[in-house]
Amino acid sequence: MAPIHTDGLTKYYGDVRGVEDLSFAVEEGEVFGFLGPNGAGKTTTIRTLMGFMSPTEGTATVLGADIRDAVALRSVRGNVGYLPSEPSFNENVTGRRLLEYHGSLRGDVRSDELLELFDPPLDRKVREYSRGNKQMLAIVVAFMHDPDVLIMDEPTSGLDPLKQEQLLEFIRTEQGRGKTFFFSSHILSEVRKVCDRVAIIRDGHLVELEDVESLLDRSGKVVRARLGGEFDPDSLALEGVHDIEVSGDGGEGDDESGDRSDSGDSDGSGDAAAAKGEATSVTFTYTGAYEPLLRHLLEYDIFDLSIEEAPLEDVFMRFYGENPAKRVEAVENGEIEEYESDEPTDSAEEADA
Amino acid sequence: MLETTRFESERLAPAAAVIGLGLAAFGGMMTLIAPGILGDVDMAALLEQFPAPMVEEMGLGKMGTIEGFIALELYEYVWLLGLGAYVAYTAAGFIAGDVETGRMDTLLAAPISRWRLLVEKYLALLTPIVVVNVVVFAGVAGAVQVIDETIPLADLVAVHVLSVPYLLACGAFGMLASVAAPRRIVAEGVAAGTLIGAFLFEMLVTNTNLGWLGAITPMRYYDPLTILTEGTYDAAGGAILFAAAVVLLVGSAWLFGEVDVQ
Repeated sequence: MAPIHTDGLTKYYGDVRGVEDLSFAVEEGEVFGFLGPNGAGKTTTIRTLMGFMSPTEGTATVLGADIRDAVALRSVRGNVGYLPSEPSFNENVTGRRLLEYHGSLRGDVRSDELLELFDPPLDRKVREYSRGNKQMLAIVVAFMHDPDVLIMDEPTSGLDPLKQEQLLEFIRTEQGRGKTFFFSSHILSEVRKVCDRVAIIRDGHLVELEDVESLLDRSGKVVRARLGGEFDPDSLALEGVHDIEVSGDGGEGDDESGDRSDSGDSDGSGDAAAAKGEATSVTFTYTGAYEPLLRHLLEYDIFDLSIEEAPLEDVFMRFYGENPAKRVEAVENGEIEEYESDEPTDSAEEADA
Repeated sequence: MLETTRFESERLAPAAAVIGLGLAAFGGMMTLIAPGILGDVDMAALLEQFPAPMVEEMGLGKMGTIEGFIALELYEYVWLLGLGAYVAYTAAGFIAGDVETGRMDTLLAAPISRWRLLVEKYLALLTPIVVVNVVVFAGVAGAVQVIDETIPLADLVAVHVLSVPYLLACGAFGMLASVAAPRRIVAEGVAAGTLIGAFLFEMLVTNTNLGWLGAITPMRYYDPLTILTEGTYDAAGGAILFAAAVVLLVGSAWLFGEVDVQ
């Protein structure tokens, strides 16, 4: 049975939707990424899974325990580690005393070993801790009882890059020991590094559930080329080409023109164009096979060519659905503000009347 | 067992020691100067200067004896009002404070039930209750040995022992506020404010024909003045307070089990 399984999990805060109708399963031994922008419902899902809040509808099981059944959930908690998004501890207590306390509640079989990797200043009071130190203390608390399932809310937040890397590496190692991870994030590179599968959540709904590899495959490659001569975008009407952007290019073209005239396989006008610096930069997303694309591009002088994986950002932007640049533009142009300022104006008039 | 009680007790102990020593010093000093004051000042004449209702309601008539003097200077206000409000206020911060800061998440992630967490935190209140009682008792009893007059030791013990159920009831009310209130500061305000309100209410209605209404206040069931001046102990009152504490605590634990921790 899947260590974590949700079935139509729904949580409303009064009329406000937290999450709605989430159904997914986290398989044993996998690292499952739970992605979404701020406010999408990641923390709501996690806190509902932990039993801090009861679902409005639907349910979920963690290690077979129904999250609506406090007694059942408590019986499996000894085998679940939890890392909150903003760990908080009693300020006036040393890290060591807190570890002792939390260890006495859940058992402590490996804090010494964990403290080698994550080393908050244990003899100082938590009040003096930086955000990163609190996070490390919380990581030790989450893992100290050696649970089989770990539920983590943005685990790398607050850590410096070195510690982030260390945590991701640690997650991979623990996965090798058969542990199951469910963690939320909005940092794509870390998801890329450790997750086997990702669920993408937006406005409280699950919009995608796939393994990371196929998500990237499906999103295709970004091709950037600088081509000599006249370039007709329509000529690149290959299957699998999307979002072509073409721009004229000068400058650098001049420096490299010598090399290209040596190649001599183009017609005269091409050489002349290149010599005059008339190169064209083309960028597009490509989801087809390499060969037809390359064959086609060879019809031009290729000054520069790069084919790389589409950044995950683009992939997620598609699911998140909002283009941040456009939103900024809209606010800058006053379109959104105008729209939102309608009401206050009305009420002001009413007040005057 | 009781890890949480121990943890919370450690945090309450320094304040308990400071309060205990401070009140012991105050109580001891009051005891030491009491014979002098009572000897020099004509209390009966002084009290005639006060409005009669005030003398009546605040029990000032009993001030002329050493027992009454100590009861009024120390126990009647500091214990009933000050310590009661302090215990309720502290209790009110327990759950609401942990929820507000997010500390509760880390606690609830452990295999411990909510009711047990709540009860263990509540039991930590015994630390200030016991420490303050023992230290102040020692201070006052010690001072009594020095002066010529004497207060029956049994009465002094009874004042302290019977304050325990009273303070436990105050604490249980604080726990309920802690679970029910949306924020820590609200919980603390409601808990301490209600105790102060109840004290004033009981004082105002006692000698009126609405006196029966005072039965809802905890102060009705613990009266240091009567214990010290008349030597009568309201054991039934103590039992009622203890029962009220249990009921309030069970109620808070039930509610805490039902609510969403946000």
